[in-house]
Amino acid sequence: MSGVITWLGEWFFWPPFFQLVIAPGLVAALVIVIFILWFERKAAARVQMRVGPYNVSPRLGGALQLIADLVRYSFQEFIVPFTVDRAAFITAPLLLLLASMLPMAVIPVSPVLPYSYTWPNIMKYNLLLALALTTLSPIFTVAAGWASNNKFSLIGAARESFMVTAYELIFVLALLSTAAPVHSYDFVKIVEAQSTWKLMALLNPPAFLAAFIATLLSTSGFPFEIPESEHEVVAGPFTEYSGLVYGVEMGAAYIKRYAMSVLMALAFFSGWKPLDPQPGAGVWSGYVAPLVVVLIKATIIMAVISFLRAVYGRYRLDQALHLAWKILLPLALLGYAIGLVYGYLGVL
Amino acid sequence: MASGELKLSGWEVGEVRRLPGMDVKKIGRDLYEIFIGPQHPGSGHMRIIVRLDGDVMVEVDPDLGYVHRTMEKLAEGRSYIKVIPLMERMAILDACNITLPYVEAVEKLLDLEPPERAKYLRVLLCEINRIASHLYGMGIFGVFLGHSTMYMWPFGDREVFVELAERLTGARLTHTYAVPGGVRRDVPDGFTDDLRKAIRYMRKRLEDYRKIFLDNPVIRARLEDVGVIPRNLAIELGIVGPNLRASGVEYDVRLIEPYEVYDELDFEIPVFEEGDALARTWVRVEEIRQSLRILEQVADKLDKMPREGVMHDKFWAKAPKLYKDVYAREGRVKLMPLFATLRVPKGKAFARAEAGRGEIVYYVESEGGMTPYRVRVVSPSFRNAIVFKYIAPGHRLMDLPAIYGSIDYFPPEADR
Amino acid sequence: MEEARRRAEEALAGIYESVEEGKGFVSFIVPLERLVEAAEALKSAGFDHVKSVTAVDRPKEGVIEVTYHASSYGDPELARGIIGLTVRIPRDNPRMPSLSRIWVSAEFQEREVFEFFGVIFEGHPDLRPILLAPPIAELRPLRKDFVVKEEPVYRGPIQKVEKPP
Repeated sequence: MSGVITWLGEWFFWPPFFQLVIAPGLVAALVIVIFILWFERKAAARVQMRVGPYNVSPRLGGALQLIADLVRYSFQEFIVPFTVDRAAFITAPLLLLLASMLPMAVIPVSPVLPYSYTWPNIMKYNLLLALALTTLSPIFTVAAGWASNNKFSLIGAARESFMVTAYELIFVLALLSTAAPVHSYDFVKIVEAQSTWKLMALLNPPAFLAAFIATLLSTSGFPFEIPESEHEVVAGPFTEYSGLVYGVEMGAAYIKRYAMSVLMALAFFSGWKPLDPQPGAGVWSGYVAPLVVVLIKATIIMAVISFLRAVYGRYRLDQALHLAWKILLPLALLGYAIGLVYGYLGVL
Repeated sequence: MASGELKLSGWEVGEVRRLPGMDVKKIGRDLYEIFIGPQHPGSGHMRIIVRLDGDVMVEVDPDLGYVHRTMEKLAEGRSYIKVIPLMERMAILDACNITLPYVEAVEKLLDLEPPERAKYLRVLLCEINRIASHLYGMGIFGVFLGHSTMYMWPFGDREVFVELAERLTGARLTHTYAVPGGVRRDVPDGFTDDLRKAIRYMRKRLEDYRKIFLDNPVIRARLEDVGVIPRNLAIELGIVGPNLRASGVEYDVRLIEPYEVYDELDFEIPVFEEGDALARTWVRVEEIRQSLRILEQVADKLDKMPREGVMHDKFWAKAPKLYKDVYAREGRVKLMPLFATLRVPKGKAFARAEAGRGEIVYYVESEGGMTPYRVRVVSPSFRNAIVFKYIAPGHRLMDLPAIYGSIDYFPPEADR
Repeated sequence: MEEARRRAEEALAGIYESVEEGKGFVSFIVPLERLVEAAEALKSAGFDHVKSVTAVDRPKEGVIEVTYHASSYGDPELARGIIGLTVRIPRDNPRMPSLSRIWVSAEFQEREVFEFFGVIFEGHPDLRPILLAPPIAELRPLRKDFVVKEEPVYRGPIQKVEKPP
């Protein structure tokens, strides 16, 4: 009997499967995104003197509202207009969701893996791998906009591509500036170098600020909700979509925000740090508990991002690009320089 | 197709050719034409045809009329009193201001002056309407810029004033309050105390608006130097209301040609020099402040006055005894039967008033019958619509909502 | 009002045919061929914008009367008065010069008068219907011979009341 459980456990916690599908991948992402959406609506409602979601499950404060929305979306008709490029129109949103999730497969959430699994050698460069995978998804947004064959979609897609070129470099530079002090591209080393209060975000604030704003830019967070800006381009690249696929596309932005938040939690907020799992620890204390700590930190970052919705309007496209190229890029470079100095002096 | 076939040869850029039911215009090769509206989250009940060169608008053609209700024609077949509820449909949230010049024009033709108390009551409702109208406009403006809090707050606070209007008139919107000769009801008991409470509340809220919206760095970046209307251009285009005053023109009908009792009240007309979208928003906020000041004075005055005489004696004398009893008991006046057969002497009258969105003018012509011969109304939004054509080009596409919202354009009012 | 009237009379001296007193405005009736001249004179006298382009159909006289209600923003004295500039044009051939080159503020309102009365403004930069769809505008709805047919009131199914025997 215990042999069967161990066998099932080994199968379940096989990292490529567990990380991508369960946590921090799909299942955890869905749970957290649903929580964040609920939080976003509830927090905005509190600021705006409203109640927010309530009628679905009044005792839970309307927490099940999002589930109800999801059910409604999934029974809605998915209309494929006859003017669109059918294959790209249908596949782009699904690939967008998948690509937003991919970085989750390669990040370590604990220094130890369960059941004597080991990472392949290439995973020493997991920071680079994760960064490379985060840059994959925007192409599918652009593809969705192009395939829609709609003027508003096209403008939205063009805006998206402007934004991509603006934020990617910033985000990559900002995260690389955490790699420099520890002389390694391994998240494990980066996290181990920090401690509960000696956070990279405090040691290198310019890099953290740049990474945070780049996350806003990349995931259409306020004040940069520009590609989908409702009052000029309806829903931007997603104008022609309906039903569950529209929900998937809207969710993909949140999942990307979640993925980038996890990266930031690891790089700037000392990942699993109050815990210090040692090699040989069990599955729960050595792997799942650190994972939960990372997810809680990522959720807090996302909650802060969500709260900005209630405070800001949206910038104009050229103002956002101005901010990105002329202010954030030098800021990210400054952060990188600070990182290099730390690395040279060996502070960490 | 025979009559309206499109011949492509020799078709110059900018030339318009006709097809049955539509005009087709050839545009330049590098232009990108988008039709914003009428079913678009950012258009309202109108269509804005925008031609883009890259991200910059080079030509903007406002296409109005999607909510045109032929009010001028319908007014020709209605008796004088029925024109009031017809006309207030163009801006239901600003109903008193919008119909007041019509009532004044009819009063000019009838050659009668409403009693003092009725005038104060009209001003009372007009200012409540003005605040509600500005709050509505600011809420729409907020959501145009993606600022959801600025959408919810003014809409929530507007409720206070809509509620006050309901207590005063019996209807949240479309009050039909001012009628020729006076007003329909007197204030209910305890109304002025609630009014003072609302004034105190609103003063506090205006500070909150400034903090979250007007001084918000993102919003300021969006609004400063956007949609600038210089003073001479504002005069040339004939725009009205807060938009005109934001461009440095000190013109307000309440100041230039005081109607009702505005000459007895103490208030200021906020004027800004910048002429950009931010200045237009500030004018609205300051106007709310001034309206609150007016309301305070009106409340004091109403408390001191004896509660009698909301209808001109000429009409009141003919009222049945039951009406007088009801008025003495509840402060309500039923609409008097003589309005159904009201005959207006022959003549032409022109009247103007300052509605929430700007100056509204009425031209009423009577042939001496029971229905007007001609009612011409030019609403503030219709006069502001020209801003789209002459101010918006040269801005980026994302500035269109900023300009639209900042001129507080309201399609049902423009289309009549 | 008096000041505005005096200034307008000065500006239009020798151009206008007669003056019509309205309540709240004064209207100067000018011949069609001198309309542009009159408008220019008013504009240079300080009447810088048009509040309303008002057309009235008078089938008994066979004319359409178009009035430009002008006033001023720049000069507070003139702003107190409203000066009408009236021209009478034949109903069967309603053509008149456009004044929207002089008063840009009249542009959209002239389009409105065009669609509702069929008055053709010669020299207008963009003479298209503005509020109505083109097929409706062809009907010239604000002319007096266009009669609004209002929908009858529904009074429920017709019930035959049988007389008691």
